[in-house]
Amino acid sequence: MIITKKSLARRTFLRGVGATLALPLLDAMVPALAAGATSAAKPVIRLGFIYHPTGAIQNVWTPAAEGVGFEFSPTLKSLEPLRKHVNVLTGLAQVQARALGDGNGDHAREGAVWLTGVHPKKTEGVGIRSGVSVDQIAARHFGEKTQLASLELGTESPSLAGGCDSGYSCAYTNTISWRTPTTPLPMELNPRIVFERLFGDGESSDPAALGARLKQRRSLLDYAAGSIDRLETRLGPSDRNKLSEYLEAIRDIERRIQKAEQENASPARKLPVMERPSAIPENYEEHCKLMFDLQVMAYQADLTRVTTFMLAHAGSNRAYPNIGISDGHHSLTHHQGIAEKIEKVAQIDAMFVRMFAYYLGKLQSTPDGDGSLLDHMAIIYGSGTGDGNAHSHHDLPILLAGGAVKGGRHIRYPKETPLTNLFMSVLDKAGVPVEKFGDSTGQLQSLSEV
Amino acid sequence: MRWVLIAVTVCFTSVAAAQSTPAKKPLIATYCVGCHNQKVQTGGLALDAVDPTRPAADADKWERVLRKVRRGEMPPAGAPRPDPAVAAAFATSLEESLDRAAAASPNPGRPAVHRLNRAEYSNAVRDLLAVDIRAGDSLPVDDSGYGFDNIADVLSMSPSLLERYISTARLVSRLAVGDLTIKPIEERFLPLKDPPTQVPAVSAYRRSVNRLERTSADLPFGSRGGLSVQHYFPLDAEYVIRVNMPTGAASFGEGIHGDVVHYDARLPVKAGLHTVGVTFQKEDSKAELEGPAARRNQAEGRPAQLETDPLPALMDFRLDGVKVKRVDVPRRPGANPDIAAVLITGPFNPTGRGETPSRSKIFVCRPAATKDEDPCAQKIVSTLTRRAFRRPVTDSDVKPLMAFYKNARQDSDFDGAIQTAIQAILISPDFLFRVEKDPRDVSRGAAYKVGDHDLASRLSFFLWSSIPDDELLRLADQSKLSEPAVLRAQVRRMLGDPRSQALISNFAGQWLQLRNLATLKPDPETFPQFDESLRYSLRQQTELFFESVLREDRSVLDLLQADYTFLNQRLAEHYGVPNIYGSHLRRVTLTDPNRAGLLGQGSILAVTSYPNRTSVVQRGKWILENLLGTPPPPPPMDVPELKPKSADGRLLTMRQQLEEHRANPKCSGCHSRMDPIGFALENYDAIGRWRDKDGDSAIDASGKLPDGSEFVGPAGLTKLLLTDYRDDFVRTVTEKLLTYALGRGLEHYDQPAVRAIARQAARENYSMSALVTALVESTPFRMRRTPGT
Repeated sequence: MIITKKSLARRTFLRGVGATLALPLLDAMVPALAAGATSAAKPVIRLGFIYHPTGAIQNVWTPAAEGVGFEFSPTLKSLEPLRKHVNVLTGLAQVQARALGDGNGDHAREGAVWLTGVHPKKTEGVGIRSGVSVDQIAARHFGEKTQLASLELGTESPSLAGGCDSGYSCAYTNTISWRTPTTPLPMELNPRIVFERLFGDGESSDPAALGARLKQRRSLLDYAAGSIDRLETRLGPSDRNKLSEYLEAIRDIERRIQKAEQENASPARKLPVMERPSAIPENYEEHCKLMFDLQVMAYQADLTRVTTFMLAHAGSNRAYPNIGISDGHHSLTHHQGIAEKIEKVAQIDAMFVRMFAYYLGKLQSTPDGDGSLLDHMAIIYGSGTGDGNAHSHHDLPILLAGGAVKGGRHIRYPKETPLTNLFMSVLDKAGVPVEKFGDSTGQLQSLSEV
Repeated sequence: MRWVLIAVTVCFTSVAAAQSTPAKKPLIATYCVGCHNQKVQTGGLALDAVDPTRPAADADKWERVLRKVRRGEMPPAGAPRPDPAVAAAFATSLEESLDRAAAASPNPGRPAVHRLNRAEYSNAVRDLLAVDIRAGDSLPVDDSGYGFDNIADVLSMSPSLLERYISTARLVSRLAVGDLTIKPIEERFLPLKDPPTQVPAVSAYRRSVNRLERTSADLPFGSRGGLSVQHYFPLDAEYVIRVNMPTGAASFGEGIHGDVVHYDARLPVKAGLHTVGVTFQKEDSKAELEGPAARRNQAEGRPAQLETDPLPALMDFRLDGVKVKRVDVPRRPGANPDIAAVLITGPFNPTGRGETPSRSKIFVCRPAATKDEDPCAQKIVSTLTRRAFRRPVTDSDVKPLMAFYKNARQDSDFDGAIQTAIQAILISPDFLFRVEKDPRDVSRGAAYKVGDHDLASRLSFFLWSSIPDDELLRLADQSKLSEPAVLRAQVRRMLGDPRSQALISNFAGQWLQLRNLATLKPDPETFPQFDESLRYSLRQQTELFFESVLREDRSVLDLLQADYTFLNQRLAEHYGVPNIYGSHLRRVTLTDPNRAGLLGQGSILAVTSYPNRTSVVQRGKWILENLLGTPPPPPPMDVPELKPKSADGRLLTMRQQLEEHRANPKCSGCHSRMDPIGFALENYDAIGRWRDKDGDSAIDASGKLPDGSEFVGPAGLTKLLLTDYRDDFVRTVTEKLLTYALGRGLEHYDQPAVRAIARQAARENYSMSALVTALVESTPFRMRRTPGT
């Protein structure tokens, strides 16, 4: 029942982030505003990955015409005002999400493969394994530059009991981010916790107090690392594995502390402002928007350059009473050809896209350097499933938004072109050197001109 | 520590044993090898390549054979089958060989390093420091495997999790010691209330009920509405309790319609956990409901809720049940007093750290002079570390923690310095991870009995989801815990301790999937009655029921057959039981056999339904998986859809649609088992109410399983489960409990232990304590294997 702890420390209100937002100044790790804004030379490219579960109703998703000046399809209609920032990419596939001898479990695979391009190991628990996801590859690259290497966010509580999909661990459906092939990253759905992760949980923004807190954190981490060393000496390799996850986490936070200490020492700090969210909004769309607001904040303050967001779990069976749909999404996708069910799935698809449009709009209205945040981003939106009813993993619904790539086009690729080729292109745009990723065969054609 | 080595006996098939077995080889050649041979390998099994007289060599395969033959599933229907008595003798002999081999050369498995999950972290913090704030709730949700969230293999660590651990450690240590520098914070509590609705059916339902009930056992009799919350007050200080009430006529929650009026009580509170209540007097509200204004509204046909003239009502602020302030609040007649939120803010003007259970637990000594400080700190830190690490502590454990103390003592007082050491303990890998170290002198791949301290942790995390208490640690220090009589006595003590509540919320909550009730979203158009009060009551009913079986040490069979349940007015109306009033759930003897046991409980019936209808298949699958331990395999790739219409265009009932589905041999294998079971429960709708019709068609709740057993309705199904399928049910409960107790998935080599536990429990009519004791005494619980081979 405890919903929030709100600091009563000094509050500062700033404009520009959102009219209704206001937040207390908090201590730990308060960032400099938009470090990217100061560099006139080459703007920083941020990467976003937004997951749409269970495919889309294709005939209302895919625009009829190709090339420039195409007409937006019914599902994508809400993106019309953002036309010049959006590409619709048709024909991409994720072959690794197919059964390949593993039988059922297409929804676990659509989640596990989406950002990894790697066929996951079928297991309920022991030895979960997929691949490092593209967001984490980018996070590793940019991680040096920002306090947080990446943010992983969601909207749906992990399934709390029972199996998730046909003999696959829930880890495969709950997340799309894999730090290593064996370490899935949890998706945080509570906006308050995301907020605290970004802006700290302390009570004072006084640089001296902040400095002391950072120093104390550092000594705590030193202690934990030392304890692991002592503990490991008598353990076998498999046991050491678990503890080395802990050690990696320590290193990650140490790096962040170092960054925060540097920024804390900087004399001219300005802070974006937003009220610390008190709870998870009951209404789905409000929840989504809040999570998008937090992502905009994180970019704006240059706390991270990579975010990953799941609109719902892989294979989610959530109902959307906010748009009058009380059946579960997954159940509806197995629509038996019934027009009413197909229409409902299409409505859900369109709502997800509307949420995306909200996010793009927000990014567009947030200044960054000589343009807007949206100008300096590459955001991939889509699903690891093409047709949810058929459990197919080709003709994926995929959008590419942001100024990193010239927009306004509907591009159709040859059948079975790997989605991972798009990741290769986007990593290249962002200056992340990668030779091969998952099942990629090279970069996508027609995305090169900016 | 003592390590008991188990001699590995290789030669286990004595001549006598070999002679007593029926001739297995010819039996297998006749009935099995036709399909299961090296060429065809049906089901990946070649029984001509393995030796049935030495089953231990291929125990994984023979365990599969045993299970299939025991259940009569093999040889398949239509194929030549041996006489049932011969098959049974074969199975018994096979089982005995496997069990003998396992006894001679036990394989206890090897649980991985285990990070504490959220529930375990909360309880460990509570038991270590007496800070009962469910600290784990601020950590990210754990992944689960095998149906439980305490599976070591899937509990991973990440930077975001570690950050939460660090923040939570700071908060907990400050609350535990009482940090005088804590700044005021606001904590907000929202009443359990239904969200606003735009669905007319829901509005109509809400208008039709106006429950005048006490909303919590913590609130006094005679009160109605209101809110009761537990809050940890960090210091002796002043605090402000604020009640927000909406002013708009249609307000359902703060922030939605905006306008709230607030009432404050500022009062001194002693540090520690207190119950804050806000109540309204029932007498007043009754008078108003029946009074002139209400009557006038009724006469004019106006819904009373829309009356907006403010009338005075009395609202009491209570601290630990004692009234501390009374205020007049305006209220709409006929409507429940509506609380949008209760906010507790503080501390202001702190007067001291106070004397809290936390502080008496931490400060086992008090330095009288400066020279006493370091020895006292050493004692405090050692005592806490031993409990937190769950083993005797060494210099190398305490020294780095004392460094925190010494460093902090330069700028803060003694208590503040202890606080920093506590914060470090709470992020130590020795606290956050359960690590069982192999003894040095055990060879690779060998089984050994875990030491007494590891045993103490296994017990406490199994039965309490928490750290061992001082008694367990003391017995482990004395190497007495592993003595059979001591161990049994400890199991009994632990089951009787309130901390065993963890078995209900964590084991039963996940086994029976009660936790999924929290996110259940029935379609409001179809089920406008499904409100938060029902959601809460359904879960309470099953939890109280499971608790009664546990606390009264009943047979696990009572989970299916008990003729009592727990109801409040809300549930009684839901089930159609008369004469139950009020919000409190109490024990009620059932007259309707259909409501007996778990299968008559709305919680389970609802979590196995779709938002707008029941699911015969999901209910059948749930029972096969969770009660009979025979989960159906996932459907094949090219599964055909159900056809809602027949070839000639007639609309088909669900039963007819599924019958058609089963006509397909690809589907019939599983659906012939799932569907009849699910149909037996069709008299319960998707939120668990009884019904005789589904739409216009009468419910047919009869079913027949492939083995020929027939039954009708819930009572018939329950009876079948208790007779023909009793052993499967007991085995399944055992397997689920063992999975939970070990924190790992079960393997073929655990099956002898599962059988041994069930056999031992059978001698005491499967009482809960017998089952738990047998489990604690089993090979996988008492032992561990070193890595290798």
